[in-house]
Amino acid sequence: MKTSSVSPNAKYLATQMALTEYLKTQFGTGRKIELDNFEEVIVWAKDPADAKRCVKDFMTDKNIQMDFLSDLTAYDNKDGEDGDKRFVLVYQLFSRTFHTRIRLKCLLDENESALTIVDLFAGANWLEREVYDMFGIDFKGHPNLRRIMMDERFTGHPLRKEYPMKQREPFKDNIRLHLGANEDK
Amino acid sequence: MGKDGSSFFFTTMLEETAKWAQKNSLWPMTFGTSCCGIEMMSTISSTYDLARFGAEVVRFSPRQADLLIVAGTITTKMAPVLRTIYDQMLEPKWVIAMGACSSSGGIFDTYSVLQGIDEIMPVDVYVPGCPPIPEGLIHAILHLQKQIDKSLERKPAEKPTFEDSQNAMSYRKSVDGVKANFIITPEYVNEQKNLRGEK
Ligand code: SF4
Repeated sequence: MKTSSVSPNAKYLATQMALTEYLKTQFGTGRKIELDNFEEVIVWAKDPADAKRCVKDFMTDKNIQMDFLSDLTAYDNKDGEDGDKRFVLVYQLFSRTFHTRIRLKCLLDENESALTIVDLFAGANWLEREVYDMFGIDFKGHPNLRRIMMDERFTGHPLRKEYPMKQREPFKDNIRLHLGANEDK
Repeated sequence: MGKDGSSFFFTTMLEETAKWAQKNSLWPMTFGTSCCGIEMMSTISSTYDLARFGAEVVRFSPRQADLLIVAGTITTKMAPVLRTIYDQMLEPKWVIAMGACSSSGGIFDTYSVLQGIDEIMPVDVYVPGCPPIPEGLIHAILHLQKQIDKSLERKPAEKPTFEDSQNAMSYRKSVDGVKANFIITPEYVNEQKNLRGEK
């Protein structure tokens, strides 16, 4: 990753382009690789197992060293713009060594479950819980997959497009619940 | 003291003194849950100096406070906690709803945010703004002082019960109408796209 630096921005772009080339040669087989408007590379994994394999490879590969998970989220692909499956899972990775970024995406069906990456990044724990809470995506192998933002007895997953935006739910006893007195569990 | 031994003079003086003491030593329990909390902190700290109006002793314990300043977005998960804090405060107590969020839900008309704290507790003064400037909060406190010494009328608030406050957290009744119209389907998305002339 050699760079001829004119301005920090140009330098950043150069490293990012070099990364894209590297990914195309090393990880390009069977995966779609594209660029967004800011020259950041998007890698589309084949399936959830492949997504986990990618995260692990990006992490251990000496030439890219994606050792920091910036974000793990999802979005609803109900209008089918990005593929024929229901959800898109997004991993946002960052390399603290090269200061480059990779966005890894993976299509998921409604009753398909993703694989947890808590064993690779401990910080993924709460992020995966959030995705589960908001979209109802199940993560296989997650140590503690519970709702994190909404009440535990909340029904529905509010960031799915079909959820009525203004539907609130009352819980009479959630003070006691948060103090740990949850008898029915 | 009256000739018949009644103590009208003394009680009147005592009432006046109590009112004077109450209004000039409001101890706020601050409940800053988001951005409005920052303005509230600025009001209390040295630039605006709420101590000039006797309300500088911030208590983070509801038992010792007599003014609840709710500054910020109250989510439905936080609402029962806020109601408990209100119930724990000792009479006489007053409530200021600071900012659009705690007065009416503000910009957050969603599945998780309470639409104004007056659904779960009586409110004495509302401060408009997103966030209100510190002068706004100071004005609210001066207004409240006038209510306390009875030079302004304190509106008899309808006090929601705990059950009321729980029920207020859902708009199930009014939402049913909305529900049918707001489900987003692929057809709806295509229709919207056609309207905008995309694809
Ligand atoms: S009213 Fe505005 S400034 Fe205040 S908490 Fe709500 S969003 Fe933040």
